[in-house]
Amino acid sequence: MTVPMVLMIYLLSQLFVQLALKMEDVLTEIPPPSRFFQEDLNNFTPPSSPLPSPFLLFSNPKPDQPLRPTLLIIALSTSSLYVFNHVSSKTLIGSVFLPEIPFSGNTFKPSLGNKSCNIYALNSADNLTLLVSIQCSVSTERSNVVAKLLIGEQIIPERVLILDSVQSQNFRGKLSSDETCAFKLETLAERKGQDGVCGVSSLLKGLDYFPSGSMVDGLAAALLARCQMRNIRGALCLSWPECGGSVVALIKSILQRTVLHGIDLSSKGDAEDKYLKFSKIKDHPFDSELYT
Amino acid sequence: MEFLIEQGKQLHQDCSTLLLPALSIGNVGQLAVDLLVSSTKAERIGYLDDPYILPCVGNDAYGPIPCGDLALPLEAYDSPASALTLIQQRSPVVQGMMIEFAKNLADFAVASGKKHIVVLSGLDFGRWQRIDMSSGLQTYYLSSTNNDGTDEYCEQLGWKRLQEYNPAQRSWKYLSALAEGNALEENRLPFEDELGEEDYYPSLPFAALFSCFKAKGLKVTCLLCYCSEGDNMPDAFHVAEAACKLLGLSPDNFHGDEGVKWLTPFSWKTVYGPPPDMSMF
Repeated sequence: MTVPMVLMIYLLSQLFVQLALKMEDVLTEIPPPSRFFQEDLNNFTPPSSPLPSPFLLFSNPKPDQPLRPTLLIIALSTSSLYVFNHVSSKTLIGSVFLPEIPFSGNTFKPSLGNKSCNIYALNSADNLTLLVSIQCSVSTERSNVVAKLLIGEQIIPERVLILDSVQSQNFRGKLSSDETCAFKLETLAERKGQDGVCGVSSLLKGLDYFPSGSMVDGLAAALLARCQMRNIRGALCLSWPECGGSVVALIKSILQRTVLHGIDLSSKGDAEDKYLKFSKIKDHPFDSELYT
Repeated sequence: MEFLIEQGKQLHQDCSTLLLPALSIGNVGQLAVDLLVSSTKAERIGYLDDPYILPCVGNDAYGPIPCGDLALPLEAYDSPASALTLIQQRSPVVQGMMIEFAKNLADFAVASGKKHIVVLSGLDFGRWQRIDMSSGLQTYYLSSTNNDGTDEYCEQLGWKRLQEYNPAQRSWKYLSALAEGNALEENRLPFEDELGEEDYYPSLPFAALFSCFKAKGLKVTCLLCYCSEGDNMPDAFHVAEAACKLLGLSPDNFHGDEGVKWLTPFSWKTVYGPPPDMSMF
Protein backbone atom coordinates (compact mmCIF):
# COMPACT_ATOMS: atom_id res chain seq x y z
CA MET A 1 0.00 0.00 0.00
CA THR A 2 1.47 3.36 -1.02
CA VAL A 3 1.70 6.42 1.22
CA PRO A 4 -0.98 8.35 -0.77
CA MET A 5 -3.38 5.41 -0.39
CA VAL A 6 -2.79 5.25 3.35
CA LEU A 7 -3.36 8.99 3.57
CA MET A 8 -6.58 8.75 1.55
CA ILE A 9 -7.90 5.93 3.74
CA TYR A 10 -7.03 7.98 6.84
CA LEU A 11 -8.77 11.09 5.47
CA LEU A 12 -11.86 9.10 4.49
CA SER A 13 -12.06 7.55 7.95
CA GLN A 14 -11.83 11.01 9.51
CA LEU A 15 -14.61 12.21 7.22
CA PHE A 16 -16.85 9.35 8.32
CA VAL A 17 -16.09 10.11 11.98
CA GLN A 18 -16.99 13.78 11.46
CA LEU A 19 -20.21 12.84 9.68
CA ALA A 20 -21.14 10.44 12.46
CA LEU A 21 -20.52 13.12 15.08
CA LYS A 22 -22.72 15.58 13.20
CA MET A 23 -25.54 13.11 12.65
CA GLU A 24 -28.26 13.42 15.17
CA ASP A 25 -28.83 10.71 17.68
CA VAL A 26 -32.53 10.13 17.15
CA LEU A 27 -32.91 8.71 20.64
CA THR A 28 -31.45 11.58 22.61
CA GLU A 29 -31.80 14.63 20.38
CA ILE A 30 -34.67 17.01 21.13
CA PRO A 31 -37.78 16.05 19.22
CA PRO A 32 -38.76 18.00 16.08
CA PRO A 33 -41.24 20.82 16.73
CA SER A 34 -44.39 18.85 16.05
CA ARG A 35 -43.69 16.32 18.74
CA PHE A 36 -43.88 16.84 22.48
CA PHE A 37 -41.46 16.64 25.36
CA GLN A 38 -42.49 14.34 28.20
CA GLU A 39 -43.08 17.37 30.46
CA ASP A 40 -45.51 18.84 27.91
CA LEU A 41 -47.74 15.80 28.37
CA ASN A 42 -47.58 15.54 32.15
CA ASN A 43 -50.41 17.01 34.20
CA PHE A 44 -48.27 16.94 37.33
CA THR A 45 -45.25 18.84 36.00
CA PRO A 46 -44.80 21.73 38.41
CA PRO A 47 -45.12 25.17 36.86
CA SER A 48 -42.05 27.39 36.54
CA SER A 49 -41.53 30.09 39.15
CA PRO A 50 -43.57 33.12 38.12
CA LEU A 51 -41.67 36.06 36.70
CA PRO A 52 -42.42 39.69 37.50
CA SER A 53 -44.63 41.30 34.84
CA PRO A 54 -42.98 43.25 32.02
CA PHE A 55 -43.84 46.93 31.83
CA LEU A 56 -43.65 49.97 29.58
CA LEU A 57 -41.84 53.15 30.53
CA PHE A 58 -42.26 56.35 28.53
CA SER A 59 -40.11 59.48 28.75
CA ASN A 60 -43.20 61.66 28.70
CA PRO A 61 -45.96 59.56 30.15
CA LYS A 62 -49.63 60.53 30.12
CA PRO A 63 -51.07 57.93 32.47
CA ASP A 64 -54.72 58.50 31.55
CA GLN A 65 -54.22 58.52 27.83
CA PRO A 66 -53.01 55.53 25.87
CA LEU A 67 -50.91 56.19 22.80
CA ARG A 68 -52.96 55.81 19.62
CA PRO A 69 -50.52 55.48 16.73
CA THR A 70 -51.80 55.18 13.18
CA LEU A 71 -49.20 52.48 12.72
CA LEU A 72 -47.27 50.36 15.20
CA ILE A 73 -44.21 48.63 13.74
CA ILE A 74 -42.58 45.84 15.73
CA ALA A 75 -39.14 44.80 14.47
CA LEU A 76 -38.08 41.33 15.58
CA SER A 77 -35.78 40.06 12.81
CA THR A 78 -32.10 40.85 12.54
CA SER A 79 -32.57 42.41 9.11
CA SER A 80 -35.43 44.71 10.17
CA LEU A 81 -33.58 45.77 13.32
CA TYR A 82 -30.61 46.67 11.14
CA VAL A 83 -32.77 48.71 8.74
CA PHE A 84 -34.48 50.69 11.47
CA ASN A 85 -31.20 51.28 13.29
CA HIS A 86 -30.21 53.45 10.34
CA VAL A 87 -33.36 55.56 10.35
CA SER A 88 -32.10 58.90 11.59
CA SER A 89 -35.52 60.50 11.90
CA LYS A 90 -36.65 58.49 14.91
CA THR A 91 -37.02 59.70 18.48
CA LEU A 92 -36.64 57.45 21.50
CA ILE A 93 -39.77 57.83 23.60
CA GLY A 94 -39.78 54.79 25.82
CA SER A 95 -38.89 51.18 26.45
CA VAL A 96 -40.36 47.77 27.23
CA PHE A 97 -38.73 46.26 30.29
CA LEU A 98 -38.60 42.51 30.74
CA PRO A 99 -37.29 41.75 34.25
CA GLU A 100 -35.68 38.51 33.08
CA ILE A 101 -33.41 40.29 30.59
CA PRO A 102 -30.22 41.62 32.20
CA PHE A 103 -28.97 45.09 31.27
CA SER A 104 -25.33 44.19 31.75
CA GLY A 105 -23.29 45.09 28.69
CA ASN A 106 -25.82 47.60 27.38
CA THR A 107 -24.57 51.05 26.39
CA PHE A 108 -26.32 54.20 27.54
CA LYS A 109 -26.95 55.25 23.95
CA PRO A 110 -29.24 52.94 21.94
CA SER A 111 -27.17 50.47 19.98
CA LEU A 112 -27.78 47.34 17.92
CA GLY A 113 -25.64 45.42 20.39
CA ASN A 114 -27.88 46.23 23.37
CA LYS A 115 -30.35 43.75 24.79
CA SER A 116 -33.22 46.20 24.80
CA CYS A 117 -36.77 46.82 23.56
CA ASN A 118 -36.85 50.52 22.73
CA ILE A 119 -39.89 52.41 21.51
CA TYR A 120 -39.40 55.18 18.96
CA ALA A 121 -41.64 57.71 17.31
CA LEU A 122 -40.97 57.97 13.58
CA ASN A 123 -41.35 61.52 12.33
CA SER A 124 -44.36 61.79 10.15
CA ALA A 125 -46.24 64.86 9.04
CA ASP A 126 -49.78 63.76 9.84
CA ASN A 127 -49.79 60.45 11.62
CA LEU A 128 -47.97 58.98 14.58
CA THR A 129 -45.97 55.90 13.70
CA LEU A 130 -44.40 54.01 16.56
CA LEU A 131 -41.53 51.59 16.20
CA VAL A 132 -40.65 48.95 18.78
CA SER A 133 -37.22 47.36 18.25
CA ILE A 134 -37.09 44.04 20.09
CA GLN A 135 -33.36 43.37 20.45
CA CYS A 136 -33.59 40.51 22.92
CA SER A 137 -35.06 37.04 22.84
CA VAL A 138 -38.55 36.88 24.32
CA SER A 139 -39.37 33.32 25.39
CA THR A 140 -42.46 31.65 23.96
CA GLU A 141 -43.95 31.45 27.44
CA ARG A 142 -43.64 35.24 27.86
CA SER A 143 -44.87 36.13 24.40
CA ASN A 144 -48.55 36.43 25.24
CA VAL A 145 -47.99 38.82 28.13
CA VAL A 146 -45.58 40.99 26.09
CA ALA A 147 -48.04 41.08 23.18
CA LYS A 148 -50.78 42.20 25.56
CA LEU A 149 -48.50 44.97 26.84
CA LEU A 150 -47.75 46.25 23.33
CA ILE A 151 -51.23 46.10 21.84
CA GLY A 152 -54.51 47.11 23.34
CA GLU A 153 -53.76 48.71 26.70
CA GLN A 154 -51.23 51.55 26.90
CA ILE A 155 -50.77 51.45 23.13
CA ILE A 156 -53.89 51.20 20.97
CA PRO A 157 -52.76 51.13 17.33
CA GLU A 158 -54.98 51.46 14.27
CA ARG A 159 -52.68 49.16 12.34
CA VAL A 160 -49.79 46.86 13.21
CA LEU A 161 -46.84 45.64 11.14
CA ILE A 162 -44.60 42.91 12.53
CA LEU A 163 -41.28 42.05 10.92
CA ASP A 164 -39.76 38.67 11.69
CA SER A 165 -37.79 35.89 9.98
CA VAL A 166 -39.02 32.53 8.76
CA GLN A 167 -38.35 29.95 11.49
CA SER A 168 -36.75 27.15 9.53
CA GLN A 169 -37.69 24.54 12.16
CA ASN A 170 -41.39 25.36 11.65
CA PHE A 171 -41.29 25.70 7.86
CA ARG A 172 -42.58 22.78 5.83
CA GLY A 173 -41.35 23.93 2.44
CA LYS A 174 -37.87 24.22 0.97
CA LEU A 175 -35.63 27.11 1.97
CA SER A 176 -32.17 27.70 0.60
CA SER A 177 -29.71 30.10 2.20
CA ASP A 178 -28.98 31.32 -1.34
CA GLU A 179 -32.55 32.37 -1.85
CA THR A 180 -34.01 35.64 -0.54
CA CYS A 181 -37.74 35.76 -0.07
CA ALA A 182 -40.52 37.09 2.10
CA PHE A 183 -44.02 35.92 2.95
CA LYS A 184 -46.93 37.50 4.73
CA LEU A 185 -49.75 36.68 7.11
CA GLU A 186 -52.56 39.13 7.68
CA THR A 187 -55.53 39.51 9.98
CA LEU A 188 -59.01 39.40 8.50
CA ALA A 189 -59.35 43.14 9.12
CA GLU A 190 -56.21 43.82 7.08
CA ARG A 191 -57.35 41.52 4.25
CA LYS A 192 -60.77 43.19 4.12
CA GLY A 193 -58.98 46.48 3.70
CA GLN A 194 -57.44 45.09 0.48
CA ASP A 195 -60.88 44.55 -1.02
CA GLY A 196 -61.44 48.26 -0.89
CA VAL A 197 -63.89 48.19 1.97
CA CYS A 198 -61.71 50.49 3.98
CA GLY A 199 -60.10 52.05 0.93
CA VAL A 200 -56.54 51.65 2.15
CA SER A 201 -53.99 49.39 0.45
CA SER A 202 -52.34 46.40 2.13
CA LEU A 203 -49.18 46.94 4.15
CA LEU A 204 -47.47 44.01 2.42
CA LYS A 205 -48.92 44.17 -1.06
CA GLY A 206 -47.21 41.89 -3.52
CA LEU A 207 -45.94 39.30 -1.03
CA ASP A 208 -47.19 35.73 -1.19
CA TYR A 209 -49.00 34.26 1.77
CA PHE A 210 -47.00 32.03 4.10
CA PRO A 211 -47.59 28.45 2.88
CA SER A 212 -50.29 26.42 4.64
CA GLY A 213 -48.86 23.72 6.93
CA SER A 214 -45.97 25.91 8.11
CA MET A 215 -46.33 27.75 11.40
CA VAL A 216 -44.92 30.73 13.26
CA ASP A 217 -44.55 30.73 17.04
CA GLY A 218 -43.20 33.09 19.68
CA LEU A 219 -43.72 36.83 19.98
CA ALA A 220 -44.58 37.42 16.31
CA ALA A 221 -47.38 34.87 16.56
CA ALA A 222 -48.65 36.29 19.84
CA LEU A 223 -48.77 39.82 18.36
CA LEU A 224 -50.58 38.82 15.17
CA ALA A 225 -53.00 36.55 17.03
CA ARG A 226 -53.84 39.40 19.39
CA CYS A 227 -54.56 41.66 16.40
CA GLN A 228 -56.80 39.00 14.84
CA MET A 229 -58.76 38.41 18.02
CA ARG A 230 -59.17 42.14 18.67
CA ASN A 231 -60.14 42.87 15.06
CA ILE A 232 -57.11 45.12 14.48
CA ARG A 233 -55.55 45.49 11.03
CA GLY A 234 -52.30 43.57 11.36
CA ALA A 235 -49.70 42.09 9.08
CA LEU A 236 -46.67 39.91 9.66
CA CYS A 237 -43.75 39.92 7.21
CA LEU A 238 -41.58 36.79 7.37
CA SER A 239 -38.27 37.18 5.55
CA TRP A 240 -35.54 34.70 4.66
CA PRO A 241 -32.65 34.28 5.32
CA GLU A 242 -32.27 35.70 8.81
CA CYS A 243 -29.48 38.10 7.95
CA GLY A 244 -27.35 39.29 5.07
CA GLY A 245 -27.22 42.11 2.59
CA SER A 246 -29.83 40.64 0.24
CA VAL A 247 -32.56 40.29 2.84
CA VAL A 248 -31.81 43.77 4.24
CA ALA A 249 -32.27 45.17 0.73
CA LEU A 250 -35.55 43.24 0.41
CA ILE A 251 -36.89 44.57 3.72
CA LYS A 252 -35.94 48.12 2.72
CA SER A 253 -37.78 47.83 -0.58
CA ILE A 254 -40.89 46.41 1.13
CA LEU A 255 -40.91 49.19 3.70
CA GLN A 256 -40.25 52.00 1.27
CA ARG A 257 -43.02 50.85 -1.08
CA THR A 258 -45.75 51.43 1.48
CA VAL A 259 -45.08 51.83 5.14
CA LEU A 260 -42.12 54.17 5.22
CA HIS A 261 -42.52 55.96 1.93
CA GLY A 262 -40.41 59.09 2.01
CA ILE A 263 -38.31 58.12 5.02
CA ASP A 264 -34.55 57.85 4.46
CA LEU A 265 -33.52 54.24 5.02
CA SER A 266 -30.02 54.50 3.54
CA SER A 267 -27.19 53.08 5.61
CA LYS A 268 -24.32 55.20 6.78
CA GLY A 269 -22.03 53.67 4.12
CA ASP A 270 -20.69 51.06 6.51
CA ALA A 271 -21.11 48.16 4.13
CA GLU A 272 -18.71 46.13 6.25
CA ASP A 273 -21.03 46.48 9.22
CA LYS A 274 -20.59 43.38 11.32
CA TYR A 275 -24.35 42.90 11.73
CA LEU A 276 -24.69 42.21 8.04
CA LYS A 277 -21.99 39.57 8.21
CA PHE A 278 -22.89 37.75 11.39
CA SER A 279 -26.05 35.94 12.30
CA LYS A 280 -28.67 37.22 14.69
CA ILE A 281 -28.47 40.48 16.54
CA LYS A 282 -30.18 38.81 19.49
CA ASP A 283 -27.70 35.96 19.76
CA HIS A 284 -24.65 37.84 18.58
CA PRO A 285 -21.54 35.63 18.72
CA PHE A 286 -19.72 38.27 20.74
CA ASP A 287 -22.49 38.52 23.29
CA SER A 288 -21.64 36.99 26.59
CA GLU A 289 -22.29 38.09 30.12
CA LEU A 290 -18.74 37.02 30.87
CA TYR A 291 -17.38 39.91 28.86
CA THR A 292 -19.44 42.90 30.05
CA MET B 1 -60.29 31.93 28.93
CA GLU B 2 -62.20 34.32 26.73
CA PHE B 3 -64.34 33.19 23.81
CA LEU B 4 -64.13 35.72 20.97
CA ILE B 5 -66.78 35.24 18.35
CA GLU B 6 -65.93 36.11 14.74
CA GLN B 7 -67.72 39.01 13.14
CA GLY B 8 -70.97 37.96 11.59
CA LYS B 9 -70.92 34.53 13.21
CA GLN B 10 -73.05 33.05 15.98
CA LEU B 11 -73.00 30.18 18.43
CA HIS B 12 -75.44 27.49 17.32
CA GLN B 13 -77.47 26.43 20.32
CA ASP B 14 -78.30 23.07 18.79
CA CYS B 15 -74.60 22.09 18.69
CA SER B 16 -74.88 20.33 22.03
CA THR B 17 -71.84 18.06 21.62
CA LEU B 18 -68.33 19.43 22.01
CA LEU B 19 -65.47 17.49 20.44
CA LEU B 20 -61.85 18.36 21.15
CA PRO B 21 -58.36 16.84 21.12
CA ALA B 22 -56.11 16.03 24.04
CA LEU B 23 -52.40 16.53 23.40
CA SER B 24 -50.79 13.12 23.05
CA ILE B 25 -48.17 11.01 21.41
CA GLY B 26 -48.61 11.10 17.65
CA ASN B 27 -50.81 14.24 17.82
CA VAL B 28 -53.65 11.81 17.08
CA GLY B 29 -56.46 13.86 18.63
CA GLN B 30 -55.40 17.01 16.81
CA LEU B 31 -55.11 15.21 13.46
CA ALA B 32 -58.53 13.62 13.99
CA VAL B 33 -60.12 17.01 14.71
CA ASP B 34 -58.44 18.41 11.58
CA LEU B 35 -60.02 15.60 9.58
CA LEU B 36 -63.47 16.14 11.10
CA VAL B 37 -63.40 19.93 10.63
CA SER B 38 -62.32 19.52 7.03
CA SER B 39 -64.78 16.73 6.19
CA THR B 40 -67.85 18.19 7.90
CA LYS B 41 -66.95 21.60 6.40
CA ALA B 42 -67.48 22.99 9.86
CA GLU B 43 -67.48 26.76 10.00
CA ARG B 44 -65.13 28.61 12.29
CA ILE B 45 -67.19 30.70 14.67
CA GLY B 46 -64.53 32.07 16.98
CA TYR B 47 -61.35 31.81 18.98
CA LEU B 48 -60.51 30.92 22.54
CA ASP B 49 -57.99 33.26 24.13
CA ASP B 50 -56.29 31.49 27.03
CA PRO B 51 -53.15 32.59 28.89
CA TYR B 52 -51.99 28.98 29.26
CA ILE B 53 -51.68 28.12 25.59
CA LEU B 54 -48.49 28.98 23.71
CA PRO B 55 -48.86 31.27 20.68
CA CYS B 56 -48.76 30.20 17.05
CA VAL B 57 -50.16 31.43 13.73
CA GLY B 58 -50.29 30.04 10.23
CA ASN B 59 -52.17 30.17 6.95
CA ASP B 60 -55.53 28.44 6.59
CA ALA B 61 -55.08 24.75 7.38
CA TYR B 62 -58.07 23.42 5.46
CA GLY B 63 -58.23 24.85 1.95
CA PRO B 64 -59.14 23.82 -0.70
CA ILE B 65 -56.77 26.64 -1.61
CA PRO B 66 -55.45 28.58 1.40
CA CYS B 67 -56.19 32.23 0.87
CA GLY B 68 -54.55 33.79 3.88
CA ASP B 69 -57.22 33.07 6.50
CA LEU B 70 -55.27 32.98 9.77
CA ALA B 71 -55.04 29.79 11.85
CA LEU B 72 -54.71 30.47 15.57
CA PRO B 73 -53.81 28.22 18.53
CA LEU B 74 -57.32 27.50 19.82
CA GLU B 75 -60.28 27.74 17.45
CA ALA B 76 -63.95 26.82 17.71
CA TYR B 77 -65.88 25.42 14.75
CA ASP B 78 -69.58 24.59 14.44
CA SER B 79 -71.18 21.94 12.26
CA PRO B 80 -74.94 22.49 12.78
CA ALA B 81 -75.80 19.57 10.47
CA SER B 82 -73.93 17.26 12.86
CA ALA B 83 -74.99 19.18 16.02
CA LEU B 84 -71.32 19.41 16.79
CA THR B 85 -68.91 22.07 18.05
CA LEU B 86 -65.27 21.23 17.47
CA ILE B 87 -62.28 22.83 19.14
CA GLN B 88 -58.91 22.55 17.47
CA GLN B 89 -55.74 23.08 19.49
CA ARG B 90 -52.58 23.74 17.50
CA SER B 91 -49.94 24.45 20.14
CA PRO B 92 -48.84 23.10 23.51
CA VAL B 93 -49.95 24.25 26.94
CA VAL B 94 -47.52 26.16 29.16
CA GLN B 95 -45.64 23.56 31.19
CA GLY B 96 -47.27 22.94 34.53
CA MET B 97 -50.60 24.55 33.60
CA MET B 98 -52.45 21.64 31.99
CA ILE B 99 -55.02 21.31 34.76
CA GLU B 100 -55.75 25.04 34.81
CA PHE B 101 -56.14 24.92 31.04
CA ALA B 102 -58.51 21.95 31.33
CA LYS B 103 -60.56 23.80 33.96
CA ASN B 104 -60.86 26.79 31.63
CA LEU B 105 -62.10 24.56 28.82
CA ALA B 106 -64.62 22.98 31.17
CA ASP B 107 -65.89 26.44 32.17
CA PHE B 108 -66.29 27.30 28.49
CA ALA B 109 -68.23 24.09 27.86
CA VAL B 110 -70.62 24.86 30.71
CA ALA B 111 -71.05 28.51 29.68
CA SER B 112 -71.88 27.54 26.11
CA GLY B 113 -74.45 24.95 27.17
CA LYS B 114 -72.70 21.79 25.99
CA LYS B 115 -74.18 18.49 27.10
CA HIS B 116 -71.69 15.88 25.94
CA ILE B 117 -67.93 16.27 25.60
CA VAL B 118 -65.90 13.91 23.41
CA VAL B 119 -62.11 13.94 23.92
CA LEU B 120 -59.87 12.34 21.28
CA SER B 121 -56.37 11.14 22.13
CA GLY B 122 -53.58 8.72 21.30
CA LEU B 123 -51.86 6.47 23.83
CA ASP B 124 -48.25 5.33 23.80
CA PHE B 125 -47.95 1.90 22.18
CA GLY B 126 -44.89 1.31 24.36
CA ARG B 127 -47.13 1.33 27.44
CA TRP B 128 -49.68 -1.14 26.12
CA GLN B 129 -49.85 -3.93 28.71
CA ARG B 130 -51.91 -6.54 26.91
CA ILE B 131 -51.56 -6.28 23.16
CA ASP B 132 -54.59 -7.63 21.32
CA MET B 133 -54.56 -7.12 17.57
CA SER B 134 -56.96 -9.99 16.88
CA SER B 135 -59.70 -7.63 15.77
CA GLY B 136 -57.49 -4.98 14.23
CA LEU B 137 -56.79 -1.59 15.78
CA GLN B 138 -58.78 -1.49 19.00
CA THR B 139 -60.59 1.59 20.29
CA TYR B 140 -60.40 2.22 24.00
CA TYR B 141 -62.68 4.55 25.90
CA LEU B 142 -63.23 6.18 29.25
CA SER B 143 -66.69 7.45 30.17
CA SER B 144 -68.22 9.47 32.99
CA THR B 145 -71.46 7.47 32.72
CA ASN B 146 -70.54 4.92 35.40
CA ASN B 147 -68.12 5.27 38.31
CA ASP B 148 -65.83 2.61 36.93
CA GLY B 149 -65.51 4.47 33.63
CA THR B 150 -67.76 2.14 31.62
CA ASP B 151 -70.62 3.01 29.31
CA GLU B 152 -73.10 0.50 27.91
CA TYR B 153 -73.28 2.08 24.47
CA CYS B 154 -69.49 2.08 24.09
CA GLU B 155 -69.44 -1.59 25.12
CA GLN B 156 -72.07 -2.36 22.48
CA LEU B 157 -69.86 -0.70 19.89
CA GLY B 158 -67.18 -3.26 20.78
CA TRP B 159 -64.83 -0.86 22.51
CA LYS B 160 -62.83 -1.63 25.62
CA ARG B 161 -62.78 0.49 28.72
CA LEU B 162 -59.28 1.74 29.58
CA GLN B 163 -58.21 -0.88 32.09
CA GLU B 164 -55.76 1.47 33.76
CA TYR B 165 -58.58 3.73 34.98
CA ASN B 166 -58.98 3.30 38.72
CA PRO B 167 -60.76 6.16 40.48
CA ALA B 168 -59.45 4.92 43.85
CA GLN B 169 -55.80 5.04 42.77
CA ARG B 170 -53.82 7.92 44.27
CA SER B 171 -53.07 9.82 41.07
CA TRP B 172 -56.61 9.54 39.68
CA LYS B 173 -57.91 10.66 43.10
CA TYR B 174 -55.48 13.58 43.23
CA LEU B 175 -56.40 14.62 39.69
CA SER B 176 -60.08 14.49 40.58
CA ALA B 177 -59.45 16.61 43.68
CA LEU B 178 -57.50 19.18 41.64
CA ALA B 179 -60.32 19.33 39.09
CA GLU B 180 -62.84 19.94 41.85
CA GLY B 181 -60.59 22.56 43.43
CA ASN B 182 -60.18 20.81 46.76
CA ALA B 183 -56.79 19.15 46.57
CA LEU B 184 -55.08 19.10 49.95
CA GLU B 185 -51.34 19.47 50.51
CA GLU B 186 -51.13 16.07 52.22
CA ASN B 187 -52.63 14.42 49.16
CA ARG B 188 -49.90 15.71 46.85
CA LEU B 189 -48.18 13.09 44.79
CA PRO B 190 -44.72 11.84 45.77
CA PHE B 191 -41.68 13.02 43.89
CA GLU B 192 -41.23 11.97 40.30
CA ASP B 193 -38.74 9.21 41.02
CA GLU B 194 -41.25 7.58 43.39
CA LEU B 195 -44.05 7.47 40.83
CA GLY B 196 -44.96 4.07 39.43
CA GLU B 197 -46.55 2.66 36.29
CA GLU B 198 -50.00 3.14 37.79
CA ASP B 199 -49.36 6.90 37.96
CA TYR B 200 -48.70 7.19 34.22
CA TYR B 201 -52.20 7.32 32.69
CA PRO B 202 -53.62 9.91 35.10
CA SER B 203 -50.63 12.13 34.23
CA LEU B 204 -51.73 12.40 30.59
CA PRO B 205 -53.61 15.43 29.21
CA PHE B 206 -56.75 13.41 28.30
CA ALA B 207 -57.07 12.49 32.00
CA ALA B 208 -56.98 16.17 33.02
CA LEU B 209 -59.72 17.00 30.51
CA PHE B 210 -61.78 13.97 31.60
CA SER B 211 -61.53 14.89 35.28
CA CYS B 212 -62.27 18.59 34.78
CA PHE B 213 -65.30 18.06 32.53
CA LYS B 214 -66.59 15.37 34.90
CA ALA B 215 -66.12 17.70 37.87
CA LYS B 216 -68.50 20.17 36.19
CA GLY B 217 -71.17 17.50 35.92
CA LEU B 218 -70.82 17.13 32.15
CA LYS B 219 -71.05 13.82 30.34
CA VAL B 220 -67.60 13.10 28.91
CA THR B 221 -66.30 10.29 26.74
CA CYS B 222 -62.62 9.85 25.90
CA LEU B 223 -61.82 7.89 22.72
CA LEU B 224 -58.30 6.50 22.71
CA CYS B 225 -56.08 4.44 20.46
CA TYR B 226 -52.56 3.13 20.91
CA CYS B 227 -49.95 4.39 18.48
CA SER B 228 -46.29 5.23 18.06
CA GLU B 229 -44.71 8.45 16.80
CA GLY B 230 -44.53 8.39 13.03
CA ASP B 231 -47.11 8.74 10.29
CA ASN B 232 -50.16 9.03 12.49
CA MET B 233 -52.72 9.81 9.81
CA PRO B 234 -54.14 6.24 9.91
CA ASP B 235 -54.58 6.64 13.68
CA ALA B 236 -56.38 9.93 13.09
CA PHE B 237 -58.77 8.25 10.65
CA HIS B 238 -59.41 5.48 13.16
CA VAL B 239 -60.24 7.84 16.01
CA ALA B 240 -62.32 10.14 13.79
CA GLU B 241 -64.37 7.15 12.61
CA ALA B 242 -64.84 6.06 16.22
CA ALA B 243 -66.10 9.56 17.08
CA CYS B 244 -68.61 9.37 14.22
CA LYS B 245 -69.83 5.96 15.44
CA LEU B 246 -70.26 7.28 18.97
CA LEU B 247 -72.25 10.30 17.79
CA GLY B 248 -74.28 8.45 15.20
CA LEU B 249 -72.77 10.42 12.32
CA SER B 250 -72.08 9.03 8.89
CA PRO B 251 -69.10 10.45 7.01
CA ASP B 252 -70.95 9.63 3.77
CA ASN B 253 -73.38 12.43 4.58
CA PHE B 254 -70.84 15.07 5.52
CA HIS B 255 -70.46 17.00 2.32
CA GLY B 256 -72.41 15.26 -0.37
CA ASP B 257 -69.47 14.57 -2.70
CA GLU B 258 -70.11 11.34 -4.47
CA GLY B 259 -68.01 8.42 -3.21
CA VAL B 260 -65.73 10.52 -0.99
CA LYS B 261 -66.10 10.11 2.75
CA TRP B 262 -63.22 12.06 4.19
CA LEU B 263 -61.68 15.33 3.01
CA THR B 264 -58.08 15.58 4.17
CA PRO B 265 -57.00 19.10 5.10
CA PHE B 266 -54.79 20.98 2.66
CA SER B 267 -52.11 21.39 5.36
CA TRP B 268 -51.63 17.61 5.52
CA LYS B 269 -49.84 17.77 2.15
CA THR B 270 -46.72 19.09 3.88
CA VAL B 271 -47.10 17.67 7.38
CA TYR B 272 -43.86 15.74 6.98
CA GLY B 273 -42.00 18.48 5.16
CA PRO B 274 -41.35 18.98 1.45
CA PRO B 275 -40.63 16.10 -0.94
CA PRO B 276 -36.93 15.22 -1.39
CA ASP B 277 -34.82 17.17 -3.84
CA MET B 278 -34.81 14.84 -6.85
CA SER B 279 -31.76 16.55 -8.38
CA MET B 280 -29.55 14.68 -5.91
CA PHE B 281 -30.36 11.46 -7.75
